[in-house]
Amino acid sequence: MPPEPVLHARGLVKRFAAPSGPPIEVLAGAELTVQRGELVVIEGPSGSGKSTLLNVLGLLEDADAGEVRFGERTVSTLGRGAKSRERGRWLGFVFQSFLLLPSLTALDNVLLAARYTTGVDAERRRRAMILLERFGVAERRDHHPAQLSGGEQQRVAFCRAVLNDPPLLLADEPTGNLDDANGAAILTALRDRARSGGAVIVVSHRPDAARGADAVFTLERGRLQPR
Amino acid sequence: MIRSLRRALRGYVFTIAGIAIGVAGIVALGAMAERIVRFIEGGDRFVLGQISVAGRGMGMGAGFTAGGLLPAAAIEAIRKVPGVAGVQPQVMLPLNPSTSQFMTLTQELVLGMDLSVPSPNRHYRTLPVQKGRFLREGDRHRVVIGASFATSRGLAPGSRLMLEGQAYEVVGVLERMLTAPDRFVIVAIEDAREQWVAKDRLLRTVLASGGVALRAQDLNTGAAVGWRDGEDPDVVARRIREQVAGVNVQIPSELSTLLRQSTAFFSALLVGIGLLAFVIGGLSLANTVAAAVFERIRDFGVKRALGATDWQLGREILAEALAVTLSGGAVGVLLAMALGLGIDGWAGRSGQQLFLFSPRLLGGALVFSVLLGAAAAAYAALRIVRLSPAEAIRRGSAA
Repeated sequence: MPPEPVLHARGLVKRFAAPSGPPIEVLAGAELTVQRGELVVIEGPSGSGKSTLLNVLGLLEDADAGEVRFGERTVSTLGRGAKSRERGRWLGFVFQSFLLLPSLTALDNVLLAARYTTGVDAERRRRAMILLERFGVAERRDHHPAQLSGGEQQRVAFCRAVLNDPPLLLADEPTGNLDDANGAAILTALRDRARSGGAVIVVSHRPDAARGADAVFTLERGRLQPR
Repeated sequence: MIRSLRRALRGYVFTIAGIAIGVAGIVALGAMAERIVRFIEGGDRFVLGQISVAGRGMGMGAGFTAGGLLPAAAIEAIRKVPGVAGVQPQVMLPLNPSTSQFMTLTQELVLGMDLSVPSPNRHYRTLPVQKGRFLREGDRHRVVIGASFATSRGLAPGSRLMLEGQAYEVVGVLERMLTAPDRFVIVAIEDAREQWVAKDRLLRTVLASGGVALRAQDLNTGAAVGWRDGEDPDVVARRIREQVAGVNVQIPSELSTLLRQSTAFFSALLVGIGLLAFVIGGLSLANTVAAAVFERIRDFGVKRALGATDWQLGREILAEALAVTLSGGAVGVLLAMALGLGIDGWAGRSGQQLFLFSPRLLGGALVFSVLLGAAAAAYAALRIVRLSPAEAIRRGSAA
């Protein structure tokens, strides 16, 4: 049985207007396919367009050209509402700056992933608590982000990303704001996620991020090159 | 539900405070405008409820009975005019004749009523009494006073009031009507005639000379005239003017127009006050709500990244805006009322009331606030959902 593609992107082009002169082409025909259970790491220097690529793959930003497919479905041409629904169904995000909502507790931040998709019910609460326990932040469930350390915030953000058990996890510099120990813990969690059948794309400039990856790419001149 | 609403509102304390100040401005200025409106409407309602007749010429009479003497024969002639239902002789005098007459609308007046005749005014068959009772036929040297008059002089039923050297017992205090009767002293017409003679040296001289055949019942400054059911009051008034010599007849609709013209300045002023309140308060409120939504642009970007659709996000923003605006509106209304009642407590010592917090004003201000808050939130939400989630997160993180 051929491997099941979770994400397929081809010909992705993204340009940004420059203050003067021609637009800057950040993505110039980038291609990527990710299978179930695969951990893909994308490397590249700052400003190379890694985050832009992840935003386009995660439907957080539209490409100027090219196509993104989740499973068999082309999602890059969908309307705003449909894209939101597809994001909720297919994706989990881990951001460098955690992006927890300051007004919500740790538990409510985790449950936010369910609020707009499956709805928050007893089962989701139970699952959220299990995740918080697994990542060692259960006792901090009623704390607000400002009361948590960076490592704790990222673990809460990770719980939020996997609450709905999405087929694809996108992590943008997930260890960028963490110390070595916390960074390693998050990378281990991402690897475990891939090992348990989920597809994971990690954008990182950390050398140890690529350890255990199924594929490592470098973004150069707007294209992904296998390392 | 309540817990989560309370938690959500806790993050909006400054927004609620901002809205409260805007709404308080609208309500306070609106309440001042309402106060003026009530005053003008009250006068208008009064003049449209009766035909006011005075004697031709000039005399002591004040208010709507300003004019010359209206003798008993003229009153009898008015009674016989077809369409007339009732005539009540009256004496209306300035309480203090030395007071400038140009502020007639806010002047303290003595109103003498013929208590043997029911009030012909269709809108004021009786004047509402708050404490004590109204005058009865046969009452002498007793007064019923307006609410402002009572407050400014510290009078209540049982108090004594000296008028032209004569002691009067206060038997009743009218409800605050926020119009002319608030400053009235109402007495039996016989008492008012005594006061008139006491106040008016010319009249005393004329009576003492015996050169003019005047009886007590001839001493009227005017009369309130009612009309029969189905009659047009303007037609009846013109009929009186044609059939009875020596009288000044006020046509109700003309008097109403005249009153409105004479208060046009106040009307323009209150329209200006109202507009100013709505513009300043409304802008403040809309700006506060929109700013509160834009402030959370990053949060909305994150929510969209997690799968929130435009509809879900819009509904959420609107619900929060409504809760915040309603809370701010309620606090604003309470703030304005506290301010108004405080000022009125001080102004009340001189019988004044500057604010009127009518239900229509409070309801209107709340509805206006909520609608404006919702519109501002909808505008901000539309601006936000047009951004890509990545752009919303970028802008929110940069702010």
